[in-house]
Amino acid sequence: MTERNGIIGWIVLIKWGEWSLISLYISLISGIVVGIHYSPAEPFYSTSAIDILVPYGAFFRSLHFYSSQFFFFFAVIHYLVVFDASQSLFGRQFVYLILTLPCILVLLFTGYVLRGDATGYSAGMIAEHIVAAIPLLGAHLNNLLFAVSEHGMYRVYLHHVISFDLLFLYLAWDHIRRYRAQTSRHLLFIGAILLFSLFMAAPMDPDKLGVFYITGPWFFLGLQELLRYFPPFLAGIIVPAALVCALLFLRKGHRWYKPILIFICGWLGIYTLLTLVALYAHG
Amino acid sequence: MRNNSNTNKPVSSGRRVLLAAAGLLFLWPVIRFIGFKVPRKPRIVEVTGTFQNDQFIAKDDFLVFTDQSDTWAVSRTCTHLGCKLNFKEKEGYIECPCHQSKFSTHGEVLHGPAKKRLPRYPVEKTEGSDTYLITIP
Repeated sequence: MTERNGIIGWIVLIKWGEWSLISLYISLISGIVVGIHYSPAEPFYSTSAIDILVPYGAFFRSLHFYSSQFFFFFAVIHYLVVFDASQSLFGRQFVYLILTLPCILVLLFTGYVLRGDATGYSAGMIAEHIVAAIPLLGAHLNNLLFAVSEHGMYRVYLHHVISFDLLFLYLAWDHIRRYRAQTSRHLLFIGAILLFSLFMAAPMDPDKLGVFYITGPWFFLGLQELLRYFPPFLAGIIVPAALVCALLFLRKGHRWYKPILIFICGWLGIYTLLTLVALYAHG
Repeated sequence: MRNNSNTNKPVSSGRRVLLAAAGLLFLWPVIRFIGFKVPRKPRIVEVTGTFQNDQFIAKDDFLVFTDQSDTWAVSRTCTHLGCKLNFKEKEGYIECPCHQSKFSTHGEVLHGPAKKRLPRYPVEKTEGSDTYLITIP
């Protein structure tokens, strides 16, 4: 066995799916704790108060932030590791599980917006403009999902704590009903997340003069860069939707399997490049 | 016993079309009513303070500028995607932190991706004080 195989063999052995699920449990519980002191009427003030005034508030916000990030990160690795096995899923089961990925991203994104700090507020406004740019339905969809400029964080909050969670549960229910994770078998992993959150503060960017470059969440950076050159509907809807569609059709039996795989790799490669440009070229 | 034979008669196709058209005619005002956004009541914001470097005052929703002859305010919301703008004092222009659109202090677009100019708000100085009233439509 070569060294590369050894590393891959080691990666495959890790229970990524269970780690992802444990991270989801922590994210949900810490989300309830953080929500006790969060107010969508005063998003920035209440988030700052959680960080500064509430006992252990900064820890619980960090825990919610990082466990949610880990949840997505491990879910993606889990999909890559079990890709071969996922091919045996029925069409609808497969489609639902793929759709959980954008659903988790929307949950992460709305959480990011809810901080109401300089970058969170800007990300909310950008999302509002992107959704509003959808022909015919845009204004209604924005009114339903974001409407940050009209109603502040109320709708984003509503969907973060209820609608998108229900949607995720609906999409993933069949899967998480069958595959469970026993917390008692992952105490070390839980301890690692708790320790990580204790030492790593969740990001917060207060609005201040003299800041001329702000960046969105890491998964939004490539999109932020694209929006610089292309209209919002193309950059914010068509481009991400193309990746999701490609993932939906990535089945080994599909006659366009190889072209779809090349498209996905190309898409991810270009997106990574754009992310690096957004990080280093304008700051 | 009442004769109900009239109620069981099939509706003619012409009548059906007429009913559908009437339904559609009624639907239009309903859609227009639901979709209408009542314009916000104009807000009058009182600004008291000194201009930073004799140039500007930054507030949450707008920037107030002054020179020897005039005082004016422009929106702080970027017309590209709605990010909050900042004023670059040294360079003398307003810049968006998200995609670096640039605007003059009067709100004209100097550099894209923004295409529309910034809305300008009326400013009134109250007599005998350093207070300005800015009307945001």
